[in-house]
Amino acid sequence: MPKLPGLVKGLGVTLNTLVRTTTKGSNTIQYPHEKEAPPIRARGVIALREDNCTSCMLCARSCPDWCIYIEGHKELAPPRRAGGKPRQVNKLDRFDIDYALCMYCGICVEVCPFDALFWSPEYEYSEPHIADLLHDKNKLGEWMETVPEAPALEAGAEKKGKK
Amino acid sequence: MTSTESLIDRRQMAYIAAQASDARVNVELETEGMTLNIGPQHPATHGTLRIIARLDGEQVVWAEPSCGYMHRGYEKLTEVRTYPQVTALINRIDWLGSFANEVPFILAAEKLMEIEAPPRAQHIRTILFELSRIANVSLFLGDLGVQLGAVTPVFMAFRDREYVLNLIEAATGGRFHPNFDRIGGLKDDLPAGFVDETRVVMKKLRNFCDEIENLLFGNEIFQSRTRGIGVIPKDVALQYGLSGANLRASGVDWDLRRDQSLPMAWNKADWKVWTHPDGDSFARCWIRLQEVRESTRIVDQLLDSIPSGPVMAKVPRIIKVPEGEAWVSTENPLGEMGYYVVSKGDLGPFRTKIRSASFNNISVVPWVLKGVYVPDIITILASLYFILGDIDR
Repeated sequence: MPKLPGLVKGLGVTLNTLVRTTTKGSNTIQYPHEKEAPPIRARGVIALREDNCTSCMLCARSCPDWCIYIEGHKELAPPRRAGGKPRQVNKLDRFDIDYALCMYCGICVEVCPFDALFWSPEYEYSEPHIADLLHDKNKLGEWMETVPEAPALEAGAEKKGKK
Repeated sequence: MTSTESLIDRRQMAYIAAQASDARVNVELETEGMTLNIGPQHPATHGTLRIIARLDGEQVVWAEPSCGYMHRGYEKLTEVRTYPQVTALINRIDWLGSFANEVPFILAAEKLMEIEAPPRAQHIRTILFELSRIANVSLFLGDLGVQLGAVTPVFMAFRDREYVLNLIEAATGGRFHPNFDRIGGLKDDLPAGFVDETRVVMKKLRNFCDEIENLLFGNEIFQSRTRGIGVIPKDVALQYGLSGANLRASGVDWDLRRDQSLPMAWNKADWKVWTHPDGDSFARCWIRLQEVRESTRIVDQLLDSIPSGPVMAKVPRIIKVPEGEAWVSTENPLGEMGYYVVSKGDLGPFRTKIRSASFNNISVVPWVLKGVYVPDIITILASLYFILGDIDR
């Protein structure tokens, strides 16, 4: 039997693919009309739980491109027990993340000792003006709704405490 | 005058006339040599590499790559960053196989701190390392066709590479920049369902390799354009410091995954280092095709034997690496990539030297481009396979 020419063999592969895509549908996703669900761990946008933040500045300091801006002040809150001394709490005045600078490394989420920052897989927040990419604490708080539960781990994993 | 004499005379006259006209044509058509400038922006250079080629007609007499258009200064940046921040930066060096960039740096830091990642972390690291190799090299297999004028393979490559990127994203959270490797282990364990999903994808990728082999490697046009083009003999390859598939294609049996004993899980799998005696463009492409196949085999075997346990060794929360110097290099998708880390006991490295594979791989370009024809420049550059970020760092 003569050897099949490579050209014909290649055309066979193309024909196979053609038949497969026409009968079983292609892999293309028509983006604005249908959307692919990103995985749970996808790093889309950072959400802020304001109550947990003590403005300790760890995230701002460990950010590789310094895109987190925090300002805060101390306030006296009523004591927990009756008759106690008033407590000193840190109030957050400003918590901005500049997504025009952010490189989505996730170091801030990881270093936060008080569980105030979370990753959300949400990705549709592009803006016509670059200045609008600076999300303030209200906008970052709104992202909290989109934060999913951490995924279950593969068999044999040792469960860790947080995140 | 006899007729014979006049005949000889006429012959001589005709000969002299032909000689004269030849000389005139030579004078008129004498090519002065042309300098062809490919890049810095050219579709075939996939990035900003500039090749200056001196041509004589269709032949290259002298060629030189001019790099540095995308220099981002990673070596200097690491001096003003802490160790966790460095990992976020360096996976942007070779952006196609980004997880593989983190591993040698982390291993160097671990070597200085004298800690070792737990076995489960080593296994998962190796799996992700090989997945990034597959993502990187499968793009090469598609891109190769485009550079030679065949458009179909690139669609298949992007289709199947997408599955691998989805896996990497599911495990690490980043498609291109995982930033998943930590000193002492990994950031997190694998999500549930990863192992089953990976098995399915590996089957798809083996199928993709067969498709590419039938579509491209068996094609007579492809073979005639790559066989015998850009031959790099064994000794030249060694002299220019080539590494990875380019070196193996020249017949040197050399693979750091096998030859080194690193705290990684490659030695727990059964796989083969492919070499090719030819050293031409076809050999380099063929070696990479086999490498994808071997990588899928490694991943499949490691998935069966992931040990249970933690993925993070006990490390302090604020990492200070003790004083010392360490050199670790691994077999990255493009070749040998190594980090020489000098630490003075601070939060970040004092000095880092990054040895990236592509920089050495393109250093052979002036040698190998000498005497080739212009269309073959693209073939040779494509088969050498460099990532611009990896050249300029």
